[in-house]
Amino acid sequence: MKLFKYTFALLACAVITACSSDDDGIQEDDLTGQSGTLTLKYDNGVGDQDFIFGTSYSKSGSESFTLENLKYIISNVRFTDTNGTVFEYPTEDNVFIIDELDGNNAGEIYVSLDNVDAADYVSITFGIGIDQDRFALGAEGQGDFLDLADAEGMMWSWASGYKFIRLDGTYSSSTMTDQPLNIHMGSVGTALDNYKEVTLDFPNTVFVRADKAPEVHIKADIAKVFDGATSVNFTDGYDQVHTDANETPIIATNIATMFEVHHVHND
Amino acid sequence: MNVLQNIKYIIIAVLMVGFAKAEAHNHANPCTRHEPFKVLCDLCGCSTSSGSFGFGTLSNANFVGVRYIYQNFESRNGIFENSPISKETFNTYQLWAQIPINDSFYVTGSLPYQDLTRDFNGVTENLNGLGDASVIGWYKHVFYKKKSDDVVDFNNTKEPTGHSLQFGLGIKLPTGQFEQRLADNINPGFQVGTGSVDGVFSLGYNYGSDKFGVNTLLSYYLKGENKNEYQFGNQFSYAVNFFTAIPKEKMNIMPFVGLSGDVYDSITQYGETLSDTDGNILNASLGSELAIDKFIFGASYTLPVSQKLFGNNVKSKQRLSVYVNFAL
Repeated sequence: MKLFKYTFALLACAVITACSSDDDGIQEDDLTGQSGTLTLKYDNGVGDQDFIFGTSYSKSGSESFTLENLKYIISNVRFTDTNGTVFEYPTEDNVFIIDELDGNNAGEIYVSLDNVDAADYVSITFGIGIDQDRFALGAEGQGDFLDLADAEGMMWSWASGYKFIRLDGTYSSSTMTDQPLNIHMGSVGTALDNYKEVTLDFPNTVFVRADKAPEVHIKADIAKVFDGATSVNFTDGYDQVHTDANETPIIATNIATMFEVHHVHND
Repeated sequence: MNVLQNIKYIIIAVLMVGFAKAEAHNHANPCTRHEPFKVLCDLCGCSTSSGSFGFGTLSNANFVGVRYIYQNFESRNGIFENSPISKETFNTYQLWAQIPINDSFYVTGSLPYQDLTRDFNGVTENLNGLGDASVIGWYKHVFYKKKSDDVVDFNNTKEPTGHSLQFGLGIKLPTGQFEQRLADNINPGFQVGTGSVDGVFSLGYNYGSDKFGVNTLLSYYLKGENKNEYQFGNQFSYAVNFFTAIPKEKMNIMPFVGLSGDVYDSITQYGETLSDTDGNILNASLGSELAIDKFIFGASYTLPVSQKLFGNNVKSKQRLSVYVNFAL
């Protein structure tokens, strides 16, 4: 019987040592000079529904909308780590067009950021659109992005500048059906600044390392464009939003409320 | 000295566990990549050795046998309510046994072979291979009828009451291989093993008479870490089966009904809890065993009664289990 007891005791030891955790948190290596890749996955939805082209979505005021174009500009991406240190992606490369057409079969649009400083990041900050500093660099200072934005239909003229968000489709209200809907919101030269920044906390720490490629899944609720901080109605003139000094700031403020970090992956 | 030899084997097994544990930390585990499918490793493919599936036969007989388990799941591939659904089919072929050591001790073990299929967007993926093996050592305490002091009884054999308790202590080994396939968009997700060494603690209560019996089993799984300090949530499993015996001329028919379930803690990584990774499920089962000579044939069908698994990203659909055991 003794032998059985020893056997059981041994088994118990094995079980307990096998399951005990060696340490809490990631091992703190020297991160100096180390960098890694971090991927942002933008995922557009309307409420709890995945966004799909051609689908009719209802909004406030008994109105609905259907889109065939959905894109916006993201820029000045930066991350804050646990020590409060901020890593900002290099300015010349730090501007992206998030185009729903570029989505994979799950409707996610990837932004891959290389050479991000290795650190434990707790939040992300990014701008929606183009800030005045970048605009002040002039047409020459925009690099390849000017051509890209032009090809994507995200420019008016150089003088007027970029369209920060572009929604094209149709809307219906209680009195009208399938009317054209075009939201082309941006700053207007230097006269009207609609650039906004958002800071989003990560639900879990993002560990950037040379051998880790974390992913940040960002959910964008397109319903917030019309029902964000302010609810607007298409029939009140928000079916065509271009350079209007009253309408565009409201849309810009609404868009700044549509982002959320749904979850992160640490590989 | 059969008994002593058995003990040697157990000690060797324990040592091997130690090595396996050291090795487990170096495993590349694709379970850690992408959700929601990573949870399937824990829930579906790898959990067929868990207590809610049962470790043995109704009558708690010693046996060696084979078991086949068929399971269906549906998983949401995305973060939205209308995100596309993938359908998973899990076929598990299991060698399982309950081996006696002496009157009070026995060992149960299972070695699964997993054959998993996933349909998503018209693409079918298949993954198969050896799954995670588990071994549990049991101590069985049988309750005997009290003898009256007044009666002088020369009959030395004790009479069992039919009640018994079982205490189990065991381990699940990362014998299943991992395989990282396909690119970012579609994630293999479902795996044949968890990559972790898990501890198993079980408490069972059985009652069996000639006509009627009940088996209850509570198990707790202490999950180990695998690569990147990724740790599945600890799991509590419970199962209760009521059975009756219908003796026939050449066979014994034992139909049973049962309830079983699992409660999962959240998954942690780097000491942080990951959201929407806990869950619970309650199942109802209906089945029967058929004992002919030394053979026990069994079949059961299981449907979920209620479930909330991993933020409702995973839905269990049904489970079918058939087995053939040879009583020892």
